[in-house]
Amino acid sequence: MTRTETAVLKTAFRALTHFIDRRQAFAYPAPAVVTLFLIVIIPIAFNLYLAFTKWTIGLGEPRFIGLGNFIELLSDERVLNGVKVMVYFSGLSLSLEMVLGLLIAVYFNREFKGSEVVQAIYILPFAATPVAVALIWRIMLNPEIGVLNYLLQSVGLPGSLWVSSPKTVIPALVMVDVWKWTPMITLIVLAGLKSLPHEPYEAAQIDGASALQIFWYITLPLIRPVLIAAMMLRSLDNLKEFDMLYTITQGGPGIASETLYLYSYNVGFSFFKAGYGSALMVVVFLIVLVFNVVMNRLRLRAESL
Amino acid sequence: MRTRIACFVLMALLCAGMVSATAFAAVDWKQLQGTEIRFLMNKHPFTTFIEPKLPEFEKLTGVKVVMEVFPEDQYRNKRTIELNAGAKLDGYMIMPGQDELYFWKAGWLQPLDAYIADPNLTAVEWDPKDFFGSFTKASMVEGKQIGVVINAETSLLSYRKDLFQRFKMKVPETMKDLEAVAKFFYGKEIDGKKMVGITLRGKGAAATSQWVDFLYTFGGSWTNAQGKSNFASAEDIAAFKFYGDLLRNYGPQGGTMLHWAESTSIFMEGKAAMIYDANVFKALYENPKESKVAGKVGYATIPAGKAGRVPHVSNWSLSINRNSSPERQKAAWLFIQWATNKQNSLGALLSGVPAGRASAWNSNEYKSKDDHPDWTANTMKSFELGQPQWNPPVINVPEIRDITGQVIVEAIEGKDVAAAAKKAAELMDKKMER
Repeated sequence: MTRTETAVLKTAFRALTHFIDRRQAFAYPAPAVVTLFLIVIIPIAFNLYLAFTKWTIGLGEPRFIGLGNFIELLSDERVLNGVKVMVYFSGLSLSLEMVLGLLIAVYFNREFKGSEVVQAIYILPFAATPVAVALIWRIMLNPEIGVLNYLLQSVGLPGSLWVSSPKTVIPALVMVDVWKWTPMITLIVLAGLKSLPHEPYEAAQIDGASALQIFWYITLPLIRPVLIAAMMLRSLDNLKEFDMLYTITQGGPGIASETLYLYSYNVGFSFFKAGYGSALMVVVFLIVLVFNVVMNRLRLRAESL
Repeated sequence: MRTRIACFVLMALLCAGMVSATAFAAVDWKQLQGTEIRFLMNKHPFTTFIEPKLPEFEKLTGVKVVMEVFPEDQYRNKRTIELNAGAKLDGYMIMPGQDELYFWKAGWLQPLDAYIADPNLTAVEWDPKDFFGSFTKASMVEGKQIGVVINAETSLLSYRKDLFQRFKMKVPETMKDLEAVAKFFYGKEIDGKKMVGITLRGKGAAATSQWVDFLYTFGGSWTNAQGKSNFASAEDIAAFKFYGDLLRNYGPQGGTMLHWAESTSIFMEGKAAMIYDANVFKALYENPKESKVAGKVGYATIPAGKAGRVPHVSNWSLSINRNSSPERQKAAWLFIQWATNKQNSLGALLSGVPAGRASAWNSNEYKSKDDHPDWTANTMKSFELGQPQWNPPVINVPEIRDITGQVIVEAIEGKDVAAAAKKAAELMDKKMER
C-alpha cells in the first residue's frame, strides 16, 4: 500500500467517524431499523397491498380489485364462524389461564418445603415444544385408542369424544391450552407478587383483616397492572393460536374449531388464494390490535390509580 | 428401356428400404449427449428405486441427470415456487388428479404426445398400450398426455378374513351387503375387543378421496352435463348419505376426525371388521411389527351400487416443464421413457411401488413372489374399472374438496344431508375455477 493510498483511507475513515459522531441519533439505530424494515414492515405492507387484489399463486399477476375481498368476506359464513370460534376459544382459555395462573402464583408465593422443585416441574409444559406436545395430545385425545378415555373408563367413568365432537372440541382444546400456558401467567404474576411492598399487609394484619379481605382489597389492586400486562402478552399469542390447533384438529370436526386465523391460513396456503387470504389476515390483525389498545388503556388506568 | 426399368426398380427398393428403416428405426439414445437436465422429486418409494439407477441412464445416453429430492410437503412448496419463478427445471413429479388443471393453466406442463409419436424419440418397446388405460387417461388434460404414470393407486375394501370365516360371512358384493355386514359386526365382542363394522376416513376434505368411489358407484358425479355442481342430484345425495350413515352407525366414535392414519390404526388394532382405503395400505396391515391383523386380511373391490363397481384411480406421474428449452425437454423425455420402460416398471413393482404397466403385474417374476394374490387380482381389477377423474375437474381442487368435505362431515353427524348438499352445490358453483 503506497503512502497516498494510506492517506486516502485514513481521511475516509475520519470522515466516516465524523459523520457517525454528528448523527448518532440516526446512525446507531440504523442497522436495527433497516432489518426491521426488511423483515417486518415490507411483509406487512405487501400483505396490505395483496388484501386489495385478486391473486391465485401461480396463475397470473395480482389484480387490483379495491374492496372486493372485504365485501366478499362479509357474506362468507366461515368468517363469522371463525370469529365465533376465536371469541369462544380465546375467551374461555384466557380467563381460565388468568384465574388459575393468579391463584397458583399466590399459592407459590409462600415459603414451603420443596417449593423450588414443585415450581420447576410446574413450568415444564410451558417449556416444551408446542408442536411435539400437540402431537402427543392428539393421540391422547383419540376416543378409540387414546389414553384419556382408557383412564376414564378404567375408573368406571364414561369416555368423552374430546376433539372428535363439535360440542366438546373447544373445551378440549382449551384444556390443552390451559395446561400449557397457565405456568407462563403464574411466572409473570409471581414475579409481580414478590416485588409488592410489605407495609400494606402489615397494616391490614394489625387491623384484623381476613386472608380473603387481604387478597381482595390489597393484593388484587396492587397486582392489577402486572395481571393486565400478563394478559396482553398471552392474548397476543392466544388470539393467533396456530400450531396447537393445526396439529390437533386442523379446524375440525368440520369447521367447529376453525378460528379466523386458521381459516386465513387455509385460504392462503391450501387454496393458494393469496389476495383473499391477505384480506382475512388484515381482519385478524385489526381484532388483535383493537383488543390490545383496549387492554393497554386499562393497564394505564390501573397504574395511575 | 431396360435401364429405365432397372432405375425404377432401384428407386422402388430404395423407397421401401427407407420406409422400413424409419418404421424400425432404433432410437438414437446418444442424440442428446452432453445435455444436463434437472428433476425435482418427491421423496417417494419410486424415487428411492430409480435414483441409484441413474448412472445406467447416463451411460446409455450421455445425458446428465441432476435429481433433487424433498419430503412431500416441502416438495410441493418448492415445486410451485420454482415453476412460478421460472427456475431452470426440466421435469418433476405430479399427481395429475390433484394438480394437472392448475399446472396446465399456469403453463407448466409440456404435452408429451409429439414425443411419443416420434419414432426417433420413442422406442417401439416402450409400448404405450401396456399402461392401464385408466392411468393414461388420468394423466391427460384436454386430450393431451402430460405425464407418464410411475405410481398407480386405487382403493380396496379390506376385511378380516379370519372373522368372516368364523362367522360365515360373505364378502359384500353390493352396497346393501356392505351395510348388512357392517351392522352384523358392529358392537360384537370378539376376543375381548368391542368391534366396529367398518372404518372410513371422515375428516372433511381428506375423506373425499375414498368417498368419491361411493359417489361414482351410486351413479353420481362431480359435475353435471352443464358443467355445474351435481351435488344436489339424487345420486350424489344418496352417496353422501350412505357414506355418512355407514360411518356414524357402524363405524368408530368421532368419525369426523378420522384421517387415514387414525382409520388404519383402528383396523390394525383389530377393532374393525372392514376398512375402505387406499390399496397401498396393505403394506401397513401386513406388517406384523405394527399390525395385529397381519396375515388375517382379505381384499376386495368396492361393492357394487347403481352404477356397478366404480373405484377411482390416482397416480404419481413424471412430467416435463413447458418452460424448459426444446433440447432439454427432449432429454427429459428420454429420461422419463427410460424410467418408465418395462424393465424399470417391473423393478419398481418388485421393490413395492405399484406400477402402471400390465406387463409388470402379469410377469412371472412378480407372480412368483406375490404373497397376496387376492390383493393383486383386485388391485388389477380396480385399475381396469378405474374412474380417472379422482378429484373435481377444476383448477382449485383443494377448495372444492374442502366444500365437499363439509357435506361429508354433516352426513356423518346425521344432519340434513339434502340441505347440506344443496348449499354446497351453490357454493361450489360460485367457487369453481376452470
